[in-house]
Amino acid sequence: MKIFIVPSIISHRLQTISVSAVFLSLQDCTFFTRKEILRLHGRYHELAPHLVPMDYTNDPDCKLPLALIVNMPELKENPFRNRIVESFSEDGMGNLSFNEFVDMFSVLSETASRELKAIYAFKIYDFNVDNYLCKEDLEKTLNRLTKEELTPEEVELVCQKSIEEADLDGDNKLSFADFENMITRAPDFLSTFHIRI
Amino acid sequence: VKEFVALSTRDRIRAIRDLAMSFEEKKHIRWVLTDKQLNLYCYTCNKLHSQSLRRCGYSIRSARQTLELWQGIMKEIGGKFGTSVLSYFLFLKWLLMFNIFSFLINFGFITIPLLVYDPSPNIPPNVSFRGLEILTGAGYFNYTVMYYGGYSNETLIGLVDYNMQLAYFFTIAVYMVLCGIALIFSMASSFKENYVLADTVSNSAWQLLCSWDFSITNERAVRQRKNNLRVQLKESLSERAQRELLTLSEKLKHFGVHLGSWLLSTGLAVGCGASIYYLYAANWSLLQEAETLLVPFVVSLMNLVVPLFYSLFNKFEHYSSLGRQIYALVVRNVLLKMSILAVLCYYWMNVVAEKFSCWESMVGQALYRLVIVDFLFLMLGSFFGEFLSNVIGTRLLPRLGVPEFDVARNVLELIYAQTLAWIGIYFSPLLPAIQILKFFILFYLKKVSLTQNCQPPRRTGRAAQMQTIFIALLFFPFFVGALSIVAYTAWRLTPSEQCGPFRGLNNTFSVVGVWIDDLQEIPASQWVVWIYQNVIRSEIFYFLITLIIIVIIYIFWQVTQGRKQLIGQLRQQIVNVSVLHP
Repeated sequence: MKIFIVPSIISHRLQTISVSAVFLSLQDCTFFTRKEILRLHGRYHELAPHLVPMDYTNDPDCKLPLALIVNMPELKENPFRNRIVESFSEDGMGNLSFNEFVDMFSVLSETASRELKAIYAFKIYDFNVDNYLCKEDLEKTLNRLTKEELTPEEVELVCQKSIEEADLDGDNKLSFADFENMITRAPDFLSTFHIRI
Repeated sequence: VKEFVALSTRDRIRAIRDLAMSFEEKKHIRWVLTDKQLNLYCYTCNKLHSQSLRRCGYSIRSARQTLELWQGIMKEIGGKFGTSVLSYFLFLKWLLMFNIFSFLINFGFITIPLLVYDPSPNIPPNVSFRGLEILTGAGYFNYTVMYYGGYSNETLIGLVDYNMQLAYFFTIAVYMVLCGIALIFSMASSFKENYVLADTVSNSAWQLLCSWDFSITNERAVRQRKNNLRVQLKESLSERAQRELLTLSEKLKHFGVHLGSWLLSTGLAVGCGASIYYLYAANWSLLQEAETLLVPFVVSLMNLVVPLFYSLFNKFEHYSSLGRQIYALVVRNVLLKMSILAVLCYYWMNVVAEKFSCWESMVGQALYRLVIVDFLFLMLGSFFGEFLSNVIGTRLLPRLGVPEFDVARNVLELIYAQTLAWIGIYFSPLLPAIQILKFFILFYLKKVSLTQNCQPPRRTGRAAQMQTIFIALLFFPFFVGALSIVAYTAWRLTPSEQCGPFRGLNNTFSVVGVWIDDLQEIPASQWVVWIYQNVIRSEIFYFLITLIIIVIIYIFWQVTQGRKQLIGQLRQQIVNVSVLHP
């Protein structure tokens, strides 16, 4: 009897050690506490209960597709929900593992730094992923924000005006430095680029 | 990665969190730095030590989170109304923490020792509890530990010798100092983040890229925001087309209107103050129970009605930007409240302190009445301001529309209520308990009123700047005013002879002098006596400190000027480089 009990005790102990090590690495790399990470895991699990295992020991390789994640109530009404999820996924298609899921909400939380938020905001608005916000990116952003109720001339005017105002180095598109310069002059950015979970 | 090696563990963690890489890369870097690196040192002890420290820190953070109030409600409000309306509720929660802290230390250090020593209050035989005391605060409450007069001046003999005088003085002094420090730190960090480099012009690029509030999750609210943004963009486009220059006569007209409305608002504020003074002077002789409620009633009525007048001025005045309009409204409201408070305090310090035997309890009762009536009027104001506006806007005059939640007016009401509590701590140590109850109920009331009656704000932006201004207003003039009133009372006014912990002394500060004299007998605490005589009582010390602080401020100011110039030069360099290398 004893011989059979001991291995299970050891494996349970190893499990708890590895769970707490995983939690510690998550807590070190993101802005969440253990309780919040557990809660996030619960939310991740309820998005696809048959795909995501309930326990957290084996660090499974499952990734949830974009369509499931953008249906979360926090993201459902956001005009940029697809771009947000795509920017945090490793393959660029929006399939998030649990670690990337936590990472996404960590950057969008209250305590993330302004620089980190600026980097990811730039990624979100950069629709064609060329590291510049060109006119097409701005037009797409504007259309998402106004439900396409502006006339094409007005859209053109607004985008032109935005580029004129924010472009410092004169290449007719906004690089990350231009974007960051604009962010530093907008103190509200920290509180508006924020999703509560 | 190489720079990370040189940092301490805490800075390293912070730097790793700030990296904009995928999670797997961050984990790899973390593993490289912590696990591989520490092979050089004592592997087991160092790693386990730092890990267990971090785990301990995290569990403390988790535990603190379980005590967080109202998380769910905040999320719901933020999701439907946006960050600027949410800032009101966050401010309310922050002020509630001040009051909870105050209540805990007052109750713990002042009231509990007295209750343990002497559990039954010595009430004269013909006074009993009637219901009216809850409103007026007089009568039965006058003889309990609610007010200054209920505290004794003896040294309570028990397990330890507890000196009530020193306890009362130091508890209140320490609380005010800690409050001041907390406010200064919040104000400074808020200025640094939100105010320093803010661009006051709201332009297209900002509207397009920075203004969308990601925390809104309600479908109707999102639709409304999109509409508002579209309207604002169309407005700014059409303004660009016809940028009008005002003629001289129009400028003069605007100036005249501004001058007139400022004179009128200042006159209203001064008039309110004067009328309260005469009302008080005429009425104080009649101390019938219910009539003492007249002055608080008039004060709260003025606080409710006159700001609505000020909002009416907006219809006639023409401001160049929305920000200036809000600033003007805030300044006028602050003037009104400061004048009312100044008149009340002047009356209490000069007339009441001379006339009555147990005058601190009288002042405490007056403050209690003000707090209670102010609460009743806040509830009424919510009803009239929001519910009736909603009814009028939807049924009677659809042109007006559903009202918006007026953040500025509501925050100023909160600041005023908190100032009353801060003034009242010296005269009525348990007033924070009433304030806690008041804020608690107010939170739920405002939340219900908001969700039923109001729509999300139409114009967004500058929420962070308004937040900074409100914290700055809370500190100066309201907290500083309350602190100076309490300091003046403790320094200049003679405590009453028959009641309270400071009876028989010339002024409250002499408690410290008496204590230092007692300490001189004990050889072990000579250093305290030395500090008191050579540091606190000597003028040369304060003079030197002031001089050093002025020099440091001047140096920092010059550094700031230099940095501003540098920023301008760097911006010019970027433009020049792009011209040279297109």
